Amino acid sequence: MNPDRPRVRINGSGLVVAAALLLAWEGAVRTGAVSFDALPAPSAVVGAARDLMATGELPVAVVHTLRVTVTGWVAASVIGVGLGTPLGRNATVHRWSMTSFEAAKAVPPITLVPAALLLFGFSLWMELSLVVFAGVWPVLINTVGGIHQVPTELLDVARTAGLGRWSTIRLVVLPAALPEIIVGLRLSLSLCLVLAVIAEMLGNPAGIGNALILAQQGLRPADMFVYVTAAGLLGVALGGLLRLATGRLFPAATIS
Amino acid sequence: MITRIPVLGLAPLVAVLAWWEWTGTPSSPYFPAPSSWWPALLDLHRDGLLGAALLSSARTFVLGLLIATVLGTVVGLAVGSSAVLDRALNPTLEFGRALPPAVLVPLATLFLGFDDGMRVSVVAFAAWWAILLNTRSARRALDGTLLDAARSMGLGQLRRHVRVILPALLPAVLLGVRVATPIALVITLLAEYLTGTTGIGGLLGDAQRTFRPARVYGLIVAGTALSLMVDGAVASMQHAVTRRRTAT
Repeated sequence: MNPDRPRVRINGSGLVVAAALLLAWEGAVRTGAVSFDALPAPSAVVGAARDLMATGELPVAVVHTLRVTVTGWVAASVIGVGLGTPLGRNATVHRWSMTSFEAAKAVPPITLVPAALLLFGFSLWMELSLVVFAGVWPVLINTVGGIHQVPTELLDVARTAGLGRWSTIRLVVLPAALPEIIVGLRLSLSLCLVLAVIAEMLGNPAGIGNALILAQQGLRPADMFVYVTAAGLLGVALGGLLRLATGRLFPAATIS
Repeated sequence: MITRIPVLGLAPLVAVLAWWEWTGTPSSPYFPAPSSWWPALLDLHRDGLLGAALLSSARTFVLGLLIATVLGTVVGLAVGSSAVLDRALNPTLEFGRALPPAVLVPLATLFLGFDDGMRVSVVAFAAWWAILLNTRSARRALDGTLLDAARSMGLGQLRRHVRVILPALLPAVLLGVRVATPIALVITLLAEYLTGTTGIGGLLGDAQRTFRPARVYGLIVAGTALSLMVDGAVASMQHAVTRRRTAT
């Protein structure tokens, strides 16, 4: 075995507990121990998932939400680091604009749904604009905070080495701020997913959010559980992939 | 405690609003001038809707967050103090944390109906993960000497928790509350928006459906004010706690 690679450990007791919870749920529904008549058993949810896979509805919805979330998150990250860098580096820029960004960050993104609907209608742009708006703030705030924490000695070294403005940012400032920025990227990714689902529920008729509302209106609880589970697995997968990627690319900057 | 707001930093926001006011007209269907937002809110206020909506939203939000704080702290404390329990519940907790809380709102309407109880439950469920996981890791990282000292002084199980462990975990709990606050507010508004009628979320949905852009923007400002107040309250609690800890 390669000693450098972290051993994948399987959390046996954790899986047993999760399986036991599902079994208890199945048993409770089968024996009629719970009184909600709309509650499907896990086996019924699996059956519904198989049907939705066969018709293609489930993969189409998941892929849509996934693409919007990732696209919006990438855009939000670029904007967040792009705006956060001058804000963190330049005291004058910070003094003359940071409060405005703090105020914009306080806008609960869901309140922008009606405004986005007025502007873009029931469309993909409406969804993307909300996702990007929500995703920018954690990246921006953490970029500013990370840059503020860069030790002055490092900047002195850069100056002595005669690095220009861009090289200093690229080679010294951003790498030193990276641990904070990565935390912001993670927060941003989970927010982007939440806002994509919300925008799909209230606006853009596509993706997991919309499928969930349609299943609710059609009184198909098993289908609803399928989409809720899919959203949860999407969240786990996106978070896990990001952690894996940053761990591989920047092992020193990733706090687990 | 008065925090000084760096007023100069508001310049770009003021400039954008002034430019908007200059170029916009009150009747624009997309960008109604900011001067028309206030009368739109006043209209709602005269009908007695605005105050009631703010109160209703605040009530759902605060109740949900309180329940989440209590449950999150208790469960986080229990999970964090046992390595076996921690490991056994970890995958389930990770799934719950990664689940985008918005998807639970339609599910909750199906099982709990359209009432206050449903809204408070979904808000609590959305908010409790951050508090639980923060409390758990803080409990796990708690200094062994502190626990030994408490034990050697002969404090019982209950007094040890109330006098030693909970105060030591308080900053972590409050940090969790601070992280949970924005998402709890979003879920409050979403639950109102989806079920209609009540709260700021209900008014927003109604303003959108009846095409009243000035009212939409006025309500965005109202929602932002609510979020700033809540965040300010949690932040000053955090400050008070850290100050007391550094003072002693």
